[in-house]
Amino acid sequence: MIIHLPFFPLLALAALTGAAALQLRRRRRQNGQADAQEPDWSAPVLDEAADRDSPFHRWDARLKIASLFIYCFLVVSLQTLTWAAAALAISIAAVMASRIPWSRPLRRLAAMSGFLTMFLIVVPLTAPAVPGETLIVLDPFSSLILHGEGLRLATLVVVKACAIALLMEPLLATAPLAVTLQALAALRLPNAICQMILLAHRYIHVLGHEARRMQRSMRLRGFAPRTDLATLRAYGNFLGMLFVRSFDRTQRVFEAMQSRGYRGAFPTWTTFAATPADWAKGAFWIIMGIILLTMDRLNLC
Amino acid sequence: MHISDGVLPTSVALGCYGLTAVLNGVGLWRLRDHTEELPKIAVVTSSFFVASLIHVPFGPTSVHLLLPGIVGALLGPAAFVSITVGLLLQSLLFQFGGITALGANALMMGLPALAAAYAFPRLRGRTRTSHAIAGAICGAGGTALAAVNLAILLGTAGESFFGVAKIALIAHLPVIVIEGVVSAFVAAFLFQVKPELLRP
Repeated sequence: MIIHLPFFPLLALAALTGAAALQLRRRRRQNGQADAQEPDWSAPVLDEAADRDSPFHRWDARLKIASLFIYCFLVVSLQTLTWAAAALAISIAAVMASRIPWSRPLRRLAAMSGFLTMFLIVVPLTAPAVPGETLIVLDPFSSLILHGEGLRLATLVVVKACAIALLMEPLLATAPLAVTLQALAALRLPNAICQMILLAHRYIHVLGHEARRMQRSMRLRGFAPRTDLATLRAYGNFLGMLFVRSFDRTQRVFEAMQSRGYRGAFPTWTTFAATPADWAKGAFWIIMGIILLTMDRLNLC
Repeated sequence: MHISDGVLPTSVALGCYGLTAVLNGVGLWRLRDHTEELPKIAVVTSSFFVASLIHVPFGPTSVHLLLPGIVGALLGPAAFVSITVGLLLQSLLFQFGGITALGANALMMGLPALAAAYAFPRLRGRTRTSHAIAGAICGAGGTALAAVNLAILLGTAGESFFGVAKIALIAHLPVIVIEGVVSAFVAAFLFQVKPELLRP
């Protein structure tokens, strides 16, 4: 059976390319100000919007992380497009409720767009034939046949990935990083891992500056990246130097931390106190996830 | 390439989380008497994170480096912990790889790093050339192993994803070559400049 392309995957594709285009435009605008050749070393600051006020900001971080984490696993278990779309709508509502500027969740969608576009193109073309499924022939090229079942699966993956990626902002950006990590420690994530996340997050920005400076001096000496051995050699030495400098720095960092009283843990100021409202929010998300999954499995539309 | 949310079956995603937790537990247990190592591993982790932002031109497109071989050669058994933290940060900051697929991504990249941690000290020899060859083997082999892990993980999602798994494998072929060459230069550079960084 030959049919026209359905609307939803095209819409998802358009949204993803739109997000990618947005990202590209932003890059170009930034480069216009700074430099056309310099790569973008900057990492976004995770808790930029932590000082706003919303139901997510007021939520006890421990319960927020635990319940949204469980909810994410319930969402990835969905198997029908209808209920995955419902989860996406819930995530959009959550981003709006958390009062985070849309540029941040859109940047997350743009980061996934390459991987997910590949899925949308490859899976429908290569999926095995299922008896009774709809075949879509792309009109000008009659040899390209899209399998309806493959298209459904690929769209399902894209919708679920977007639904969860959008939730990351209400989850992570609504509390200072230190509080989020303290909540993770309270949820029994090993203290050593929490320490490493906090330090690594800090030093990504420091070493990003270092890398930018080294890259600039390479360009001043006439380096222009090409597809050849000399470029790979230059990058190899560049990375080696970055590692040597970061190792040298670790020693000084550790001594400085010790002299300020570091004994394997950072002092904390926040104490968590969960109110009934916090528990209610946690229960709300988990029950919503269970409802989504139940409806999905019963295939109720 | 990182696996995003929604691809893997929930059982596979949870199983990978469990295995990742066990491997991290083993890594941290081995570090238990060396807490002064943790800040160091953290700073080295961020240097690998920054290194993964480098895009090497490849014809009309570009590939970014992952360096699982060099992570293993520099950090030894602690490499798995470092990779897990690095991937967690990539997921939290950039959405490279989803939060539910973190366990799978950590296994995909962390196992090759552990393999390199095992192989590099046995291959490195004593000269600059032998270090470069050991770096090339660990870099190319580590990336090849990561690509195979990726294909296996995509394959667990069902027959419909076999096509994507194959294309992902093919797309990694040039990356394997580039990673091998760059890792060889990094290993030779470190041998000349600061050989004590490469673990005995």
